[in-house]
Amino acid sequence: MFLEQGKISNLQLSVLITGFVLGSSVIISPGQGAGHDAWIAVALGLMEGLLIAWIFTALARQFKYKTIIEINSLVYGKILGKCISVLFIWYLFHLGALVLDNYARFFKLEIYPNTPKTVLFLLLMLVCASTVGRGIEVLARCSVILVPFTILLIPVDTLLLIPHIDLNDLMPILDVPSEKLLWASQGAASFPFAETVAFLMVLAFVDKPEKGPAAVSRGLLIAGFFLIMAVARNAAVLGPMAVITNYPSYLMAQVIDIGDILTRFEVVVGITLITMGFIKISVLFYGTVLGLAQVFNLRSYQPIILPVGILMVILALTSAGNTFEMFEFANKGYPIYAVPFQIGIPLITLVVAKLRKLPQTGGDQV
Amino acid sequence: MIALLIMGFGIVALIQIPALVKKQWWRELICFTVLWSAGFILSIMISTGITLPSISMIINKTIVGIFGL
Repeated sequence: MFLEQGKISNLQLSVLITGFVLGSSVIISPGQGAGHDAWIAVALGLMEGLLIAWIFTALARQFKYKTIIEINSLVYGKILGKCISVLFIWYLFHLGALVLDNYARFFKLEIYPNTPKTVLFLLLMLVCASTVGRGIEVLARCSVILVPFTILLIPVDTLLLIPHIDLNDLMPILDVPSEKLLWASQGAASFPFAETVAFLMVLAFVDKPEKGPAAVSRGLLIAGFFLIMAVARNAAVLGPMAVITNYPSYLMAQVIDIGDILTRFEVVVGITLITMGFIKISVLFYGTVLGLAQVFNLRSYQPIILPVGILMVILALTSAGNTFEMFEFANKGYPIYAVPFQIGIPLITLVVAKLRKLPQTGGDQV
Repeated sequence: MIALLIMGFGIVALIQIPALVKKQWWRELICFTVLWSAGFILSIMISTGITLPSISMIINKTIVGIFGL
């Protein structure tokens, strides 16, 4: 029995990846450690992200129609394979809780200050649980409807902010020490580009797997382009404020004022932010429940959706005491913590599979 | 708050358990029960004011300590 019957097209995969990458990175600006050179850090991070994507798509292409959980069992054997799979599932679960925390914290601070955070967590989680229960096809279709709005909003925002843009705020280029720039670019690679490793749970359901790597790269490049645009714009509009503010994209939207008519634009930004968060959390949530179902040989992942969702909310509730701690983890611990999951597991699995000459029957069926 | 939690978790269990028993999906039932119980116990702990350790902060402190960041 297959746990997932749905299939998604390569276009849907690209859009889903674009939405996933834009996800929380549109609220927490990546590469902030590089100051006004943050856009260069994001560009470097995109290159590293493409390299990591090449590794995990190579693995997915070698084992067509298989998720990383099934691949691990084939490559490492049942027991070791399942242990490594549990580690990978933990990463998806933890990342889902971190993204959930980012969003609830953002909404609590900026939009709904009087609403308890638990209520925000539960509402967001219920929507995600409902989508995950309907499978990957529904999630992919949602992304095709929602992601274009965000993609459209970034250039529209930028155009509306032209009167406030001061290109001098981006000068001098490459002013930050190279060590700082490299650390910021590693941060930008690990969050958000290399997080697309979560798609090792999704690539198995692409209808034309041989075109999967191109679809992943396309999604990353589109998201990277708009993210660089957003980060450069934030620095050019907010100047030094872009580095010290928690949510530059949102703050920047508050600046928009066209003849006292077009104001309070941040609400529109807020709506698009929550849709991207929904996509990212749903993909991670989907990967977690599908992974658990495969590890424990369940016939369906439906029964565990709600309990896993509740546990994700609990992890999000306890993930950071305050916003400072959240950013501390995002900027210091996370770029290193993520490496074994984003690079280690896919790369080692690919190398071991090559050495063991797996899969033995040409890749379509093992 | 605790009554609300018991009600919420009770509804989830009432929806899931009879359906799983009817289908005789025992493995799924065990998985559900373990995860549901963990969620229930941790939720009760949080609602009674017990502070759970932050896993992210433990990871962060460990990495910062090892790499001297």
